[in-house]
Amino acid sequence: MSPQTGARILVVDDEPALVRAVRANLGSRGFRVDVAESGRAALERVDLHPDLILLDLGLPDLDGLDLIRSLRGRGRAPIIVLSARGSERDKVRALDLGADDYLTKPFGVEELLARIRVALRHTLRSGADEPVFRTRGLTVDVEHRRVTVDGEELHLTPTEYALLTALVRHADRVVTDAMLLQEVWGPEYGDEDHYLHVYVARLRKKLEPDPQKPHYIVTEPGVGYRLLTEDVIADRT
Amino acid sequence: MLDVMRRLAPVRGYAAALAAVVLVTVVIGAIEARAHVANISMLYLIAVLGAATLLGRGPAVAASLTSFLAYNWFFVEPIHTFTVGNPTEWFALVLFLVTAMVTSQLAADQRDRAREAADRARDATLMFEVARVLGEPDLDAALAAVTERLRQGLGVAGVIVELDGDGVRHRSIAGDAAPLQGADVGSLAAWIPSSRSASGARARWIHVLGPHGSSVSRRDERVHAVPLQAAGRRIGMLAVVRLAPQPQSADDRILTSVATQLAGAIERSRLRQRATDAEILRRTDQLKNVLLGAVSHDLRTPLASIVASAGSLRQTDVPWTEAERESFLSDIEQEARRLSRIVSNLLDLSRVESGTLHPERSWYDLSALIDDVVGRLRPVTQGHRVEVRVPDDLPPVSLDYVEIDQVLSNLIENAARHTQPGTAIVVSASIANGEAIVEVADDGQGVLEDPIDRVFEPFVRGSTRGTPRGTGLGLAVARGLVEAHGGNLSVRNRSEGGAVFRFTLPVEIIPRTRAAATKP
Repeated sequence: MSPQTGARILVVDDEPALVRAVRANLGSRGFRVDVAESGRAALERVDLHPDLILLDLGLPDLDGLDLIRSLRGRGRAPIIVLSARGSERDKVRALDLGADDYLTKPFGVEELLARIRVALRHTLRSGADEPVFRTRGLTVDVEHRRVTVDGEELHLTPTEYALLTALVRHADRVVTDAMLLQEVWGPEYGDEDHYLHVYVARLRKKLEPDPQKPHYIVTEPGVGYRLLTEDVIADRT
Repeated sequence: MLDVMRRLAPVRGYAAALAAVVLVTVVIGAIEARAHVANISMLYLIAVLGAATLLGRGPAVAASLTSFLAYNWFFVEPIHTFTVGNPTEWFALVLFLVTAMVTSQLAADQRDRAREAADRARDATLMFEVARVLGEPDLDAALAAVTERLRQGLGVAGVIVELDGDGVRHRSIAGDAAPLQGADVGSLAAWIPSSRSASGARARWIHVLGPHGSSVSRRDERVHAVPLQAAGRRIGMLAVVRLAPQPQSADDRILTSVATQLAGAIERSRLRQRATDAEILRRTDQLKNVLLGAVSHDLRTPLASIVASAGSLRQTDVPWTEAERESFLSDIEQEARRLSRIVSNLLDLSRVESGTLHPERSWYDLSALIDDVVGRLRPVTQGHRVEVRVPDDLPPVSLDYVEIDQVLSNLIENAARHTQPGTAIVVSASIANGEAIVEVADDGQGVLEDPIDRVFEPFVRGSTRGTPRGTGLGLAVARGLVEAHGGNLSVRNRSEGGAVFRFTLPVEIIPRTRAAATKP
């Protein structure tokens, strides 16, 4: 049995059909599901200490971003934001405010489960960085600053290496441009975002055997990047 | 200090005229000491003419009178009195005074005319420039340019143009408008009397209260304002702030003319805006109609499949096989996703049509973007051979990733949809003439529309054989997104067959940053 079974998930959404489907799916997989139809209800239920919060950004009563701030003030449970396509700015703001991941509506069940799995795994690991990160042929040896793909050592520039380790720290979770800039160039970064995407593209060229089928680093359009540790169904059409 | 000197300017004119008379008196005295010269008093005319030409009418009259008195006092017997012994001297003196007066007036007239001509030349130049600047389509920029031009042309401290109509207040300030800045726009405008006549923008000079308002109630003599009027309605005001208090002047005329021009330009711009609004409304209406047609057709098709599949699954009396159930379910899912795509395109189109696109640009590696899109669209293009041709040395391009991703996706999907399986789709990128060029070429039968650009109009589906499954939105959206980036999207048919869609993106110079300095 996976350690995630029995985790308590708070679903905050005012759309009954979606809530019903999510509740049925999560319930049948052993999760305990609480539902809040409004922002205010969510703020009450959060005292039940959920292990994870699924939060719709377009609630009728409270601004989604304000709600994230309030929820973050009350606990560390990971927050997965649900929002519509085209509101990338809101997603980025939500992530920068402390949300852990996002899902674009409409989303498939497999996608939802994958995100929940990743978010819960990160809570369990609670930041205990392993000295060597391994995933499907990619190894990052933090202690010796060595990176190999399928046994072959890669020669990365310091910036590329810093980017890779930042992505590794958030493996499987989306990392926004702002977060990457923070972690690679430090808090006083200036206009470097001009180059951020170019550096990531270079890193990807060194890492990926087939750039059209990125194995490790995928682009989250308008939001940031994600380092994958498993072949998550890229179900975006 | 400067103020005092300016206020003393007229006094200095008279002082200079007197000094000239004193000088001539000394010269005449020196000559008279040696020999008697007939009609030597005419030397005074030099001083009078000089005063008339250089200093103006008043100092010239003063010079005439003082010359008359000085000559009488110093040189006409009996000396050091104003009495005249010889009656012929009387005649000569009066003749001198008349001559001095007349020539001074003539010279002063000449001076005034020359000055007026210079003023008019300056006004004409200024008006020409104002007219030229007002020809700009962007009224805000035009107003800013006009105020700055007026400030320079008139040599005043500051110029302010205020528009207060249609509920929108707009202020354009050039230079130092401190005496006006504190003042409330409304109260300021209220000080300008509105011309009752509907004959146009007859301007009146008025004085405007200082910034401290009525509590201080000190009139600031440096501020002059003229109302801006269009069709007998006041729409704002034009005011200048001088370096020093000055009564009415020739600038009055130019300000009035500029005010008329400004009012005309503003009115024209408003009419243009109204016409644009009307056109937008008309097009929105048209779009809505076409949209309704498209919605009823394009949205109903997937909806019909979904309802039919879901309904089938609920049939309890039919023993569906596992494969049949699976096929119904996958139909529901696929058609729902198709609906979602159509809705996304409709939303994008409405953003394009309403002109509210603001690309959030950043520097990206174009080849990475192309790889991403081509990779993501594999399911759509699996029947085709997709080839990517991008040079290694492509410089980064500033773009909104989501939007250009959308553009390229729409073009590739369009190519896949309108060509036979097994044919090639070539995506290439290059740099030429300061532009990044991305092309999507297919091996289909080309675009049959005439004119060819019609494919970019919303809801126009390419006339290809078979049943096009698109909504006719993708290309319209793509063009809108590219244009929001300052590029353009075009299509041509290749002579050897197939269509080439090509879009450009301006390539700017990347600003130097610290990242560039630490570039490994």
